Amino acid sequence: MPPKNRHPTSASVQPSAPKSTPSAPTTTSSKPLNANTAQDIVQNVWDKYVQRTPQRVKLLDTFMAFLVAVGALQFVYCVIVGNFPFNAFLSGFSATVGQFVLTASLRIQTNPENKAEFESISNERAFADFIFGSLLLHFFCVNFIN
Amino acid sequence: MRWLFSFLVLALLGAVQALSSSGSRLLVVLEELAEKDKYSEFWDDLRGRSYTLSFESPKNDKLSIFKHGERAYDHLILFPPKTKGLGPSLTPKLLLEFLKKDGNVLLTLSADHPTPSAIVSLLLELDIHLPTDRNALVIDHFNYDTVSAGEKHDVLLVPAPKALRADVKNYFEVDGTIAVPRAVGQGLGNTTPHLAPILRAGSSAYSYNPKDEAEIVEDPFAVGEQLSLVSAMQARNSARFTVVGSVEMLQNEWFDAKIGAVGSKEQTTTANRAFAAKVSEWTFKETGVLKVGRLQHYLNEGKKNVNESAVGVPEHNPGIYRIKTDVSYTIEISEYTSTHLSPFVPPTADDVQLEFSMLSPFHRLSLTPLAQTANSTIFGTSFVLPDQHGIFNFRVNYKRPFLTSVDEKRQVTVRHFAHDEWPRSWNISAAWVWIGGIWVTVAGWIAFVALWLYSEGVEKGVKKTQ
Amino acid sequence: MATSPVDPLLKQLTGPNTRSLLRVIILLTIAAAAVSSRLFSVIRFESIIHEFDPWFNFRATKYLVQNGFYSFWDWFDDRTWHPLGRVTGGTLYPGLMVTSGIIYHVLRFLTFPVDIRNICVLLAPGFSGLTAFATYLLTNEMVTSPSAGLLAAAFMGITPGYISRSVAGSYDNEAIAIFLLVFTFFLWIKAVKLGSVFWGALTALFYGYMVSAWGGYVFITNLLPLHAFVLICMGRYSPRLYVSYTSWYALGTLASMQIPFVGFLPIRSSEHMSALGVFGLLQIVGFVEFVRNQLPSRQFQTLLRALVLVIFAVSFGGLVLLTVSGVIAPWTGRFYSLWDTGYAKIHIPIIASVSEHQPTAWPAFFFDLSMMIWLFPAGVYMCFRKLTDEQVFIVIYAVLASYFAGVMVRLMLTLTPIVCVASAIAFSQILDTYMSIDSPTPEVQANGTPASASVAAASAMLPDGLRSTRNPIVGIYSYTSKLTVVAASTVYLMLFVMHCTWVTSNAYSSPSVVLASRLPDGSQHIIDDYREAYYWLRQNTPENAKIMSWWDYGYQIGGMADRPTLVDNNTWNNTHIATVGKAMSSREEVSYPIMRQHEVDYVLVVFGGLLGYSGDDINKFLWMVRIAEGIWPDEVKERNFFTARGEYRVDDEATPTMKNSLMYKMSYYNYNALFPAGQAQDRVRNTRLPAEGPQLTTIEEAFTSENWIIRIYKVKDLDNFGRDHGSAVAFDKGNKKKRAHKRKGARTLRVE
Repeated sequence: MPPKNRHPTSASVQPSAPKSTPSAPTTTSSKPLNANTAQDIVQNVWDKYVQRTPQRVKLLDTFMAFLVAVGALQFVYCVIVGNFPFNAFLSGFSATVGQFVLTASLRIQTNPENKAEFESISNERAFADFIFGSLLLHFFCVNFIN
Repeated sequence: MRWLFSFLVLALLGAVQALSSSGSRLLVVLEELAEKDKYSEFWDDLRGRSYTLSFESPKNDKLSIFKHGERAYDHLILFPPKTKGLGPSLTPKLLLEFLKKDGNVLLTLSADHPTPSAIVSLLLELDIHLPTDRNALVIDHFNYDTVSAGEKHDVLLVPAPKALRADVKNYFEVDGTIAVPRAVGQGLGNTTPHLAPILRAGSSAYSYNPKDEAEIVEDPFAVGEQLSLVSAMQARNSARFTVVGSVEMLQNEWFDAKIGAVGSKEQTTTANRAFAAKVSEWTFKETGVLKVGRLQHYLNEGKKNVNESAVGVPEHNPGIYRIKTDVSYTIEISEYTSTHLSPFVPPTADDVQLEFSMLSPFHRLSLTPLAQTANSTIFGTSFVLPDQHGIFNFRVNYKRPFLTSVDEKRQVTVRHFAHDEWPRSWNISAAWVWIGGIWVTVAGWIAFVALWLYSEGVEKGVKKTQ
Repeated sequence: MATSPVDPLLKQLTGPNTRSLLRVIILLTIAAAAVSSRLFSVIRFESIIHEFDPWFNFRATKYLVQNGFYSFWDWFDDRTWHPLGRVTGGTLYPGLMVTSGIIYHVLRFLTFPVDIRNICVLLAPGFSGLTAFATYLLTNEMVTSPSAGLLAAAFMGITPGYISRSVAGSYDNEAIAIFLLVFTFFLWIKAVKLGSVFWGALTALFYGYMVSAWGGYVFITNLLPLHAFVLICMGRYSPRLYVSYTSWYALGTLASMQIPFVGFLPIRSSEHMSALGVFGLLQIVGFVEFVRNQLPSRQFQTLLRALVLVIFAVSFGGLVLLTVSGVIAPWTGRFYSLWDTGYAKIHIPIIASVSEHQPTAWPAFFFDLSMMIWLFPAGVYMCFRKLTDEQVFIVIYAVLASYFAGVMVRLMLTLTPIVCVASAIAFSQILDTYMSIDSPTPEVQANGTPASASVAAASAMLPDGLRSTRNPIVGIYSYTSKLTVVAASTVYLMLFVMHCTWVTSNAYSSPSVVLASRLPDGSQHIIDDYREAYYWLRQNTPENAKIMSWWDYGYQIGGMADRPTLVDNNTWNNTHIATVGKAMSSREEVSYPIMRQHEVDYVLVVFGGLLGYSGDDINKFLWMVRIAEGIWPDEVKERNFFTARGEYRVDDEATPTMKNSLMYKMSYYNYNALFPAGQAQDRVRNTRLPAEGPQLTTIEEAFTSENWIIRIYKVKDLDNFGRDHGSAVAFDKGNKKKRAHKRKGARTLRVE
């Protein structure tokens, strides 16, 4: 998982942006915990994740990590260079945020652990919803950037 | 053919019309018609300029300067009445009404009789003040006519008037000296822009009542150049009102009288005739009349768009512009001089200015003469509209003494950028990053969807194999 | 109109076909009732656009229909706010106009040549039918009983609180906005229940539509986050909430930013920050939940809790910092006045001067909601009993909306839907309890039967839920008590219907452009001065004649007289309004240059003194003074308009400032001539006027309508001879000018 290594920086620079799942352990490791235990925990979580997660959820996670990376890059660029065409920045940034949120929703909905919460939504339905939402999102963003 | 015919008719009409730009019906109000012979040369001059003169006595009950609510005459010459006033048909109110309807008035005063209070109050409305002493006349001990007034010093010799200011044209230039016998001096109010002196007394003149016989004059009504002998009032509608302080100067005997200045033996002829002609020309709008021809404003798109003169062609000016666009403005101004329209040339120290204003001017620009046609000058300028939307006026407000006022206002709307007039995002290099961001997201999404669908197939396949 | 949305409903119904058919018929009947009761105004008056704002909307719609959508979008209106103009396309909520434009074109396409005015007039009643349907859907999400939904729909259809803004001709944003509000809430509840991106996206779409239609969308923007926030605080976070909220926020915010008028507001202004904050909070909570699932370590959880708190505090601090530093716009004045009712009066008189921004009077609640006002708390209480996610929503909505409705009259409108829903829940509970014919276990009957009806009602209503655990079979099984209660409630319902009909036909159907009065013989007399005057302007003045009036009449002049105005009901520029206020409240010599500068050709005033029409300009005059004083405190002083004893008078004792003000002069000019000498009477203020009427010099009377309600004055041009108007008028009257020679001191010399 190559994008994982990029996360610590991006997650810390970007306080309001949502954090993606794989970045979680590294963020917590910055807390004043015993470094040893923290490392253990990270290791533990990572192993668990690699073993237990189905292939498709991993795919989802990769995509989310990718989105976080893109969003973080845009945000950093905005902070450094400035947000001159503000609408462009907004639409660019919110495209990634929105896409991330929608993907997270898809992940939650398709996660077998949450089956009880979403009995009325099948995987296919969730995916169709996801496509619907994403298309709307892309339309709005492209329209807004003019 | 039709237009040709109407053109011919118009041309013929023009031929028979007076030289005045505003009509030829001239009424002379004279108390004793017998007196009119004294002024025959003046009448001949006027008739020579194709005015039709009517003479009426103010005592005539049927006299009316209006007919059916419109002016019955175009111009009016009022002679000083010997009695109390000008009668019920020429009250100050009616005379102002006459002016409001674009009639022109030449009012003459005389020191021989006290000026009636009706005329005093009329002049007062126009901010022209007469001496409180009704018998006062202007006396100058240094510039009098030695031939006729060696004793009384009440015939003034005044040099021909010069331009009032550097930026005002002079319409009263004559060769020689003007004799002004027994004049009633006028004081002009200094707040109103409508007044201007045509002929001012010399700096040693003063207003004095000879019947007082006082040795010393204390607190004279006015002295020196503050005393105006002939003054002009031009109303906002350009109606003209001229006060001639001495009616005698229009008489035949003063038109070619021999006069002698103080300190010189030589006798010369007066320039009164020429001056009277100039004054009447100006008063009856033969000179100093400006006419605005075509007025254009247009979006400056690089191509030259100055049209040749076409007076009377309807305007096709745009009603709306966008902020920050380059706009050109041209205005065609002619000046009417006695017989024809000629290109208007402003005095050297003066400019015709254009204001582009909303509540207050955003631009005030001098117009430069761009071209000249046979009978007009085209003034123009171009400028960039301000970054402020609203309802603006192109306004040329050219009001100068002795020139009819030009106040041309054209309302235009200046709008904001329309939604499709902003630069598109890909034209702004700074936006490329974020455009990239969007499309990377979209591309990533498509890749993800493809992978997802593919993996679904794989998973199903896996399930099936299991 | 309601048939097509009903179709999916039919499929979802589990009951037998007849029942669902019945339901459809009932809904259609409700919609028909809703529409028809709103037609009172058309029947009693005519098919005409009402009041003030609708005239602008109507004019804008005409522009849209004539010039197409794109030029509407780029519309720069040079006939209002002269000479500033208004970027209308970018400063309005286009939803209403676009909706009627679409309806117009669809009808044209279907070869129904309908006049756009009729569409505009009938749009509000049409949408009220849809609102009733949306209320039905919303209520159905709350309770299982289908009767509650139908009752709510019926209530919504005829409640005066909603009718007040949606009678035929009341072509205002609220006409469609209330439908959108209710429907968005329905979609939101649906989304929260199912946790579906699809419903969340639909919510966002309708939210976007709502944003395009009404400024009140901020209510949704804050209510949904509040709902989510309360759920989180109650420990009811669920992935469903995450899915629905985030998909709504991400899409809805983007959708709202597409409206030019809203633009960057959703991330710039404080009103929208709560939504953003809850969005961020949900991300954190979602993440934490995720991690909690991964690691069940207790210590870790507390740590994460701390983390959440820290992040929340930091982001809140950041928000405050940004607001202080000006990156995010602070709350607008209108918003402040929601929290502090006295705020506007002190700081922004223009907001306080709008009658619909006044705090609501208590009787208005009973007037607008009738019996629902006491059913409403019961319904809310019943929501408390179960307190599922959606019922939490009802509770929050109820609390917030009641507060806001108390603060501002116009927000009564947002309260109305929830009142209908809550009271329908309560009422249907009563009916369900008392109308069930089967009596299950008859042996436990002894408990409740002997009690009289009222006691039974109380015991059934309130303690039922509390005792139900102890004593599961409690009920009312006596037919008499059942009948009594059912009969009583039927009577209440009948009274409610009567009340609604009466209020609608008598209070809310007046177009206010046309006034109605009763003649002594009881017949109706129409007072049509407004239109008389506006058409006079239309026929007798040049097309570009600028009309100055107080801003109330700006839209009407624009719509009916089609003449440019200086200020209108879109009160975006306080200074410009204050300028008009100053011109009205100053002496003529001060006003004239102002009017010249603004190229005013005519001045219009409303004067009710002859007829006793109290909504006239003299009664609004103090607002003009106050607004002008806000900008020119040195030149206009409110104190000077009151007598020494602090009274606002127009009679002999009126202050000189008052008597010399342009407004006073214009109102009472020549009014004396109507009466015998010294008898002039102002019937609004019930005072006798001074024997000598005011004189005008810089303006002249041009038109006075039949009942003197509208008076129009023409602004004179500058005097032809450069005199001031006072002396010109004096001269015309024959007064001789005093010779100005008596002056003392140095003479002013003329300099060329």
